[in-house]
Amino acid sequence: MSSAQQTADPGLYLPRSARIEAVADLTAREKFFRLTLDRPLGHQPGQFVMVTVPGMGECAISITCGPREDNILEMVIRKAGNLTGVIHGLKAGDTLGVRGPFGRGFDLAEFHGRDVLVVAGGLGLVPLRSLLTPMIADHGRFGRITLITGARTPAETLFREELARWREKDNVEVIEMVDSTAHLPWDGRVGLVTTPIGALGLDAARTTVVLCGPPVMYKFVLLELDRHYHVPAERIFIDLERRMRCGVGKCGHCQINQAYCCQQGPVFRYSELRDFPEALA
Amino acid sequence: MKPKVAFFDFASCEGCQLALLNCEDELLDILACVELVEFREAISERAVRYDIAFVEGSIHREQDLERLRDIRSRSKVLVALGACACNGNVQARSNFVAPAENYKSVYGEEERNRVQTDPDYWPLWSHTRVRAVHEVVEVDFFLRGCPMVPAEFLHLVKSLLTGRTPYFPANAVCVECKKNDNECVYDRGLACFGPIAYGGCDAVCINGGHVCDACRGLLPYANVEAHRRMLVARGVDPDGVRNRYRLHLSNDPLAQEARR
Amino acid sequence: MNAFLASPAQVGGWLHVLARTTALLWPQPKGSRNFSFLPLAQGAPVSLDRYRPTVVPPSRHLLPADETLFTYRCEPTGEVRYQPPEAPPRQILAGVRPCDLKGIAQLDAVMADAPADPLYGARRAATAIIGVDCLAPCDSRCFCAATGSLAFRGGADLFLTPLADGVLVEVTSDRGAELLAGAGFAPCGNAAALREQAEADRPVPFGRALAASPAELPAVLRAGYRSPVYGRHGERCFSCGTCNLVCPTCYCFEVRDDLALDGAGGRRSRTWDACMIPAFAEVAGGHNFRPQVGERQRHRLKRKFEYLPDRFGTGPFCVGCGRCGRQCAADIDILVMINEIVAEQGGAA
Repeated sequence: MSSAQQTADPGLYLPRSARIEAVADLTAREKFFRLTLDRPLGHQPGQFVMVTVPGMGECAISITCGPREDNILEMVIRKAGNLTGVIHGLKAGDTLGVRGPFGRGFDLAEFHGRDVLVVAGGLGLVPLRSLLTPMIADHGRFGRITLITGARTPAETLFREELARWREKDNVEVIEMVDSTAHLPWDGRVGLVTTPIGALGLDAARTTVVLCGPPVMYKFVLLELDRHYHVPAERIFIDLERRMRCGVGKCGHCQINQAYCCQQGPVFRYSELRDFPEALA
Repeated sequence: MKPKVAFFDFASCEGCQLALLNCEDELLDILACVELVEFREAISERAVRYDIAFVEGSIHREQDLERLRDIRSRSKVLVALGACACNGNVQARSNFVAPAENYKSVYGEEERNRVQTDPDYWPLWSHTRVRAVHEVVEVDFFLRGCPMVPAEFLHLVKSLLTGRTPYFPANAVCVECKKNDNECVYDRGLACFGPIAYGGCDAVCINGGHVCDACRGLLPYANVEAHRRMLVARGVDPDGVRNRYRLHLSNDPLAQEARR
Repeated sequence: MNAFLASPAQVGGWLHVLARTTALLWPQPKGSRNFSFLPLAQGAPVSLDRYRPTVVPPSRHLLPADETLFTYRCEPTGEVRYQPPEAPPRQILAGVRPCDLKGIAQLDAVMADAPADPLYGARRAATAIIGVDCLAPCDSRCFCAATGSLAFRGGADLFLTPLADGVLVEVTSDRGAELLAGAGFAPCGNAAALREQAEADRPVPFGRALAASPAELPAVLRAGYRSPVYGRHGERCFSCGTCNLVCPTCYCFEVRDDLALDGAGGRRSRTWDACMIPAFAEVAGGHNFRPQVGERQRHRLKRKFEYLPDRFGTGPFCVGCGRCGRQCAADIDILVMINEIVAEQGGAA
């Protein structure tokens, strides 16, 4: 037990104070927050933080900015309950508590020189932006980058201006899908995120695939990938959401079969998830 | 402006308001944060709107329905306070017997016959069923139990005053028995509703040497059929099982089969 | 290390001396037929007889039902100060049997796994443990020999073995030697032989048997992933969480915040949670990854015999104490379920 004594960080459960620098409305339900921390976050794309409103509680929030040298943390928060409702009411100058970064994210080096297909359904674009930002900034080091985003309606799309800038880069293709235009102006395509996959002409041997979206999305995207290409399961990454309480592999809430989502995930290889029947259930 | 808080009584023993007065220290802190506009008729000045209305008691008569609907229409948040308001409690047991029969068993046949023709008593016969508050109007929060639990009341008020949604986990009483390291009632050879009843009471009855009779109602996932079978297998006679299910659960839809 | 011999009365007297200065928890009767690790009150009898396993295992005294993670205070400047909890008090868990020692050792492994849990670590470091050997099965639910816990000694600072004519006291750590300082027990030169002799008189088989060894069970459970056994026993399950809460190796928790009425301060705490409770695996939006009771039973069993053993390599996380079945009102017994799955899969792998 003495070993645990020596290595335990007494502050494991203590949040650090972070100041909100900017808040922006993205949709009716999602807001963008830029925070300043007391030191650089030092995160990997795909990792998450635990965000505290004192007296209210704590929840896991995806990091949406790419790795940075400065003290900035960017997140997108959907108003879904008590805690997120209060966070939505905060403004620049207010403070939040932050712990992390936690979890296993993406290793960018593994993507170098490869074609990359990213499929982001709904809020799935939020964590994947932390991967896409550094990839697009350094796009020469990657092969062809294809991003398919999906939203229910044009009113629920995220980061459109940024996507438009990304689309201008060499070897970057951005396909924006909505389930329905809902009678709103829309210059993207209409359909599911699975619709464009067959016509992409991917080279399965050169391609790495990244998926993040609502639980129901994975099965259909994986079926479509399997139908047209045979991307090895080791080259398909899936970013999963669970109900993390502690973020550090202790509370048990995010366990998927034998994996703790907060530690072995939230980014998994599909080859790993095939042993976890609960993962894509 | 301080939030306006009101308490209303229907059919109950008022034990929940008494439990509330037992909060003492914290109650004073809370009273400093709110404006109490109605409490046991003690305050004559009536407010037009209530921020939080606590409704105690079950609903029986036609005029109770009207009064309750009026309270609801004037309240931002309506809280059912205690078992009578949350599930009809023991008085809902009278739903199994015709009102006139009930009256007869208490006051005798002659008296029953007399009041049945006395216009002053007619409202008594107009009620068809003892109801919980949520069967008449929408309820925002339930403070369960007979009586309600002061700690839950404080949690609810603190949460509402600070703009949070109060949280009452849907856990069995067994969870609290384990936290208190209690000997299981079944180990004493007695029958208990703890495994299927809403906790939140700190298993107070079992701590005190009694059994749980689910005054807080059945959990939404209560495995009632297994519980009923288990009681029978442990030697409780079927009449006894039905009676236990009729104690606090006469109005609980989940207990419908078990109390038949 | 050193060993001593003492009479039961001497041991009792010594424990009472320890209890004067440090909270000393000893298994004592509670209710009509149960036991609990309770503070040893002045003059209370100290029995070394076998006891029905306590309702809540001693490992729960290392992970209290309501533990403060931090308190906080909002300064007038708007700054929030987070304050870690005070250091836990020293305690002695005494009369801990091998199955419960194994349970504590498994929690040690979980909580020391990086990142180590600082609160558990502090409480564990402040806790001395006095083990006591088990020479007869506690009751018909016991299967500690089958899970390999009966011979477990790890984590104890002192280890007591009741003998026919006294008590053997073995010192197994420096802290144990300190606890024994001044006890005045007679040194013993042949401790190993005495203990072996006492243990040789144990009944065989000792408690119930598993139909496959703990080493074989992960493969059996993987093969039987969709076994109907889980759902069949689940039919009479109440999802009350008792089996989790009385398990020496269950540690899952829920986190909640409490706020002072003035809104300027409060605390965050963790409290016991249980994977058998339906809401445990719910995520934002209400989706539940284990909505069926059979899925939750499967999760519980696989954690004990497959997931956690695979992850930590410290043997089964079921210590064979039998508490989950003993405390289950519906009589759902983990050993019965495991053996049914083994039979269904055609015996041991």
